Amino acid sequence: MSSEQNGASAEAAPKPQNDKASKDSKAGAEAKSDKAEPKSTDAAGDKKLTGAELKAKAKAEKAARRAQQKTSKDVAKGEAAVSSSPGQLGPSAGEVKAKGKGKDGASAGAAAAGRPVLPKAPPSAVVTEQKIQIPECFSHLSMARRIPMTQADKDVHPSVLMLGQQMATFTIDESITRLKATLLAFRKVIESYITPPGNVLARHFTPHVLNIQIEYLTACRPMCFSMGNAIRWLKLQVSKLDMDASEEQAKKKLCQAIDIFIAERITVADEYITEQGAKHIKDGDVVLTYGRNTLVEKAILYAHSAGTKFSVLVLDDPYERLGQQLAKTLTDEGIKVTYSGDFGGLRNHMRQATKVFFAAEAMFSNGAMYARAGTCDVAMLAQELGKKVIALCETINITERVATDSLTYNEIDPERSSAAAFRLMFDTTPDKYISLLVTELGSVQARSAPDLLRKLEEFN
Amino acid sequence: MANVQDGAATRGLPLRGSNADAESFDIVATYHRLLKEDPDLTMPMAAIEALIEFLGHSQVKTVYETIDLVKTQSEKLQAAVRNPIALSHGTDLFSQYLIMSLKQPASSSSAPNGNSSSSKLASPPLDHPHESFEVVRQHLLRNSRLFATRAKNARERIAANGRKHLHDDTTILTMGGSRVVGNLLSRAAAKHDYGWYTDPPRRFRVLYAVDPALQAESDGVVQSLRAQGIQVATIPFTALAYAMGQVDKVIVGAEAVTANGGIISSMGTYSLAILAKASRKPLYVAAEQHKFGKTFPVDNFDFSFDQEVINFSSDNNKDDKAKKVPMPGPIDFTPPELIEAFFADHKVLTPDEVAKEVIDMLM
Repeated sequence: MSSEQNGASAEAAPKPQNDKASKDSKAGAEAKSDKAEPKSTDAAGDKKLTGAELKAKAKAEKAARRAQQKTSKDVAKGEAAVSSSPGQLGPSAGEVKAKGKGKDGASAGAAAAGRPVLPKAPPSAVVTEQKIQIPECFSHLSMARRIPMTQADKDVHPSVLMLGQQMATFTIDESITRLKATLLAFRKVIESYITPPGNVLARHFTPHVLNIQIEYLTACRPMCFSMGNAIRWLKLQVSKLDMDASEEQAKKKLCQAIDIFIAERITVADEYITEQGAKHIKDGDVVLTYGRNTLVEKAILYAHSAGTKFSVLVLDDPYERLGQQLAKTLTDEGIKVTYSGDFGGLRNHMRQATKVFFAAEAMFSNGAMYARAGTCDVAMLAQELGKKVIALCETINITERVATDSLTYNEIDPERSSAAAFRLMFDTTPDKYISLLVTELGSVQARSAPDLLRKLEEFN
Repeated sequence: MANVQDGAATRGLPLRGSNADAESFDIVATYHRLLKEDPDLTMPMAAIEALIEFLGHSQVKTVYETIDLVKTQSEKLQAAVRNPIALSHGTDLFSQYLIMSLKQPASSSSAPNGNSSSSKLASPPLDHPHESFEVVRQHLLRNSRLFATRAKNARERIAANGRKHLHDDTTILTMGGSRVVGNLLSRAAAKHDYGWYTDPPRRFRVLYAVDPALQAESDGVVQSLRAQGIQVATIPFTALAYAMGQVDKVIVGAEAVTANGGIISSMGTYSLAILAKASRKPLYVAAEQHKFGKTFPVDNFDFSFDQEVINFSSDNNKDDKAKKVPMPGPIDFTPPELIEAFFADHKVLTPDEVAKEVIDMLM
């Protein structure tokens, strides 16, 4: 393990971070003072929530059923906030945000504005105290939340119900694993689907069954881009079904299509990317990676099993120490690993590295990479020191949308946000910081992501 | 139908017995013979021609078998040379052409280059895929020389495209004995008839950086340029930075063009490109479209082979047995940031456009 204390750390940290140190400590103090409150209100929470519920019910007595649903969502929100807030507040939330977005000053304003603005403040002010306060300008960002199973729509399939819980708790986290689990769950939904008399599967399935599942999943955790792409594809497959085909045939065809889709776009794609990515690891390389991602892990293991002699530098996200898991897996295989728990001495670590490997959560059409918060900082430094940044990504993760900053698309971390501050989970790395994008169609420059999309359309 | 089944059955096996001719055919020897016979042939083109000759020898009847065979032969060929980059660009282009033309109706398979494949919409497959296959195969065999002639014409088209970018009273720096660049310069010094307009000859001077390793090739180009009345000065490689102040444009050739719009070229091109960039002189690359390929090195040490150019030693004895032999014909990789534009046979394009074309053509 290398030492975290060295002179380079201050130099390595993006400038705004220093400016924010004072702000952070302030935020931390605020958080601490808040800390006591949620604990005391914890027990009272239920009472107050019921109050809110009653109020809402009274308000919308006429449209009883709809109101019921809405309220249950509110409750869920409140409960999630209550269950996650005490103990986890720490001085962290503001800091992470500052670090992830180090380069754009907008976030500084966000942290400062976090407190006073109370968007859509519901009548019961006490309840909102416990909720995570998102400033109005960030209201477009969504957040995972735990919805009690009892409050889900009755038509949500059990397998989807379970998957939703896993997603909400981040048990299933990576974009590609979420996608695969979703498709497999939908496959089960299709299998157990029975067309009501007088309907046709191709017409009835999407609006009355599939959409309910999707709504529930989205409520549990915002969809990732690959899920969006795949769901669009699945809906197209349903609509393309032959009207005269029997239900059995139609279901079989859909399941087959899903199986092929998983095989082509996920399984084989992963294998190919692993192989191609591993080819860029040469003898004597020091591979730097950030956090843990299955694709990067696979590529490193593949290169190792191919007999390449190299070492790995695992840089970790201090808020989700998944890199520890990666470091363990790699050392078990006999790979030399250096582990650093945070960005301390980042510049020093980067100097030792020869190549940087990332896996993209998604790729935007302008070649920007959407990945774990902090990736951009690492990529920028790699570029500055002339190290090559290699991004691994399945084409299903490429979206036709465009992002030039980290705030257009992002997700709020429900477990590490407080009333005072919230943490964003992702950031956007501009294409100029990425040397190479490895996909299952081939290795291209990040700017060529839209060309790959066009190519995919041609195949269909 | 029986053939199709046969093909499917043998596909899983390592192609034993089904093709006695294919086994006896030595693709590596053919490739080297072709290169030797025709000094004007480029490596990708020689690879394509060798594959066509191989198709002529093989008795395969099915599409899948052919594609599999072409693949194994390409791999064989690539394994036989130390630097397979340029060659693999040729074999990739050929197999892509095969796949594309087998997907399309036979009538549209008349363009052996298959370059404009992106513009053609993919048509539904024929009812009898192996009929179309036979058409394609016959077409290829009949026109095998067409590839070579086209490749040579490509050099003329590059000259026609590139001359618009050469101006009077300029000094052009080049190196490395590239045939494409030599042809471009000598054509530019003569008048060119576009049909509707006759372009007058360009009057420019040439500064030729001579690499001792490529002395013979360089001398040939210099002599032919001087024979055309072009003012040529030769300088050693060491004088490049010194001479850069006198230069208006730099033009180099390439062995292969990578997927990001960089080039793989004879050793020294990268240093020339860096010097040109530092002096803010535009660097142009004259290269045929068939040299474009999927290779994507992230840096100069990201190749599948080791050139063994750098060998550390503390032993003064030169006859050390353990000493590694540097690869003959060493190459380096010039990243796209250092390149202004490409003079290709179909058009003049920027590195970004090259990247796009590679995706359209080969992925």
